[in-house]
Amino acid sequence: MHSPYSIPVLHNTIRIMTPFLFAAIGGLFTELAGMLNIALEGLMLIGAFFSVIFTAFTGNLFLGLTLGILSSVLVALIFGWISLYLKANIFITGLATNLLAPGLTTVLAFQIFGNKGVIRFENIPNLTHITIPIIRRIPLLNDILSGHNFLVYLSWLTVIIAAIVIYETPFGLRLRATGLNPRAIESYGLKPRRIQLAAILISGFTCGLGGSMLSLEMGAFVPNLTAGRGWIALVAIYLGSKRPLGIVIASFVFALTESISNYVQGITSVPADFILATPYMVTLLAMIGWSVWQYYRAKE
Amino acid sequence: MKLGAGRSEFFINFIAILITLSIAFVAVIVLIFLLSSQPIDTIYYFFIGPFTNRYYLGNMLNTSIPLIFTGLGIAIAFKSSVFNLGGEGQVYAAALVTTVICLALPTANGYFGGTLALAGAALTGSFLAGLSGYFRMKWGTDELISSYLLSASIIMVVNYFITGPLNDPTNNLLATKLIGSQYFLLKIMPPSKLDIGIFIAIATAVVAFFFMYHTHAGYEMRMCGLNREFSRYGGIDTARYLILPMLISGLLHGLAGGFIVLGTYHKAIKEFSFGMGWNGIAVALIARNNPLAVIPAAFFFAYLDAGAKAAMLHSDVTFEIAAIVQAIIYYLVTAKVIYRFIRYRKRVINA
Repeated sequence: MHSPYSIPVLHNTIRIMTPFLFAAIGGLFTELAGMLNIALEGLMLIGAFFSVIFTAFTGNLFLGLTLGILSSVLVALIFGWISLYLKANIFITGLATNLLAPGLTTVLAFQIFGNKGVIRFENIPNLTHITIPIIRRIPLLNDILSGHNFLVYLSWLTVIIAAIVIYETPFGLRLRATGLNPRAIESYGLKPRRIQLAAILISGFTCGLGGSMLSLEMGAFVPNLTAGRGWIALVAIYLGSKRPLGIVIASFVFALTESISNYVQGITSVPADFILATPYMVTLLAMIGWSVWQYYRAKE
Repeated sequence: MKLGAGRSEFFINFIAILITLSIAFVAVIVLIFLLSSQPIDTIYYFFIGPFTNRYYLGNMLNTSIPLIFTGLGIAIAFKSSVFNLGGEGQVYAAALVTTVICLALPTANGYFGGTLALAGAALTGSFLAGLSGYFRMKWGTDELISSYLLSASIIMVVNYFITGPLNDPTNNLLATKLIGSQYFLLKIMPPSKLDIGIFIAIATAVVAFFFMYHTHAGYEMRMCGLNREFSRYGGIDTARYLILPMLISGLLHGLAGGFIVLGTYHKAIKEFSFGMGWNGIAVALIARNNPLAVIPAAFFFAYLDAGAKAAMLHSDVTFEIAAIVQAIIYYLVTAKVIYRFIRYRKRVINA
């Protein structure tokens, strides 16, 4: 921590963490409702594509962001409706969503811009950056936590709201009960499918935000922009023991790995491909380590 | 799916798949009308294009070779309720290993070296998938996510070798050197790329069917697929059947990678096998995890692929409409409502 580079690395960690955090918090809702939601990846990509496109077309960041999130909520609705009401296997429909997202975005990009590669927008409004007044005088904290764009702070707010909704509201109770035993929920005259659909829509909403952050901060859309972040977010849910605070810690660890890799890429001759592989490798090792721990804890 | 599934169950499955595929085809037509400025021509190229000459037809059949292997790999794993989502990385890594073995033996006998290369491919795939199976067996690590993560990181490593140390500097492609011509599989439908690998793929499907339905191990694997707890009480060594399906699944994915190198590309090119792993899942789903049904399902997927390519070449739509159609198939292929609808109709007709 004494290296002069640790501050930019940590500053970037906070930034990189945001999409993971958004996706994982949304995924927590579906996970608690008893569904394996592998569609996080695809939903993020949808949000990323449509928010940057709509922002460029309308010239209004707020409008573009809203329409982008609506797009991923719409895809989540299709995904959820088919899974729950047409009774399709949610793992397969999740794969479908992950296949639909790159297909749809590429086809539309080709149709609109005649280009399947990187689409850059020149006049896109910048994400507003925020300085936190309270910590302005604390040098280290200020350098790391302050001066990010508003989506970063929105993600923290989302975690807090999610924790309140999950643990302190009737909806949260019903959500968790649905995951434990949907039949019991039914016997109370509630409809478990509706609660599950709501959870899927929430995951569509937060994934839309997470994806938007990726494209809007660059002012561009890149094919496969999400690059496995939805999957890593899924692992973060498990490693975070399906709790909001745990998810924050797991997301931070993954983001820190990525931030360090980015930094190492600039100063060493380690091939870029190996560095690109590290987030997956670290996630995998963390997952294996976690299951080993769970295994021996259960044995005792 | 059920024990003693008779002819009636087969019929229901068949009709349901037919409905799903019809919806997908309607979606193709709608998409083309939305996206193309000359929809009628585009539709013609999409649906009829692959059959208009020997070259297209042969290439379409050639595309189905790796899909049969990956489809079988997924079908056997799914049938045993084990999930291998690492097909992409397994195919890609195996293709690289095949190339490396062939390049290391530039003057060896074609049959000897080729067999060795395929064995290397099979081992590579088995090892990668087997790792996830092993973690699952040993500590209960979810194999679905671990196989995906392992595959995603292996892809980067393979990329490094293809574009780095093994790259052929005399060529502008991001690819390795060409393997010796004694390793090339015999072409059977020139000028197309179709090679004898198609016969081996079909034979493999028959062997896989025999294994799953007429051997003891196959029976136990299917039982574990139906109900692992119950199978354990029945005396089946269920831990073994967490790792064995993964090993077989990886082996078949590995062969897919081996055959695309020996049969089609004769070298490893960056990202050349992308999609084969994911499409294997779709093939297995359409085939309802039946190894013999994997053959027509792979043909169907190859047709979809060839149609999209022909439409892209001759008209103004992009290849990725195939991905949208595939997504629609994924969405609907497991929808129980479709099956219930057919059962209901059948009862009404029979009554």
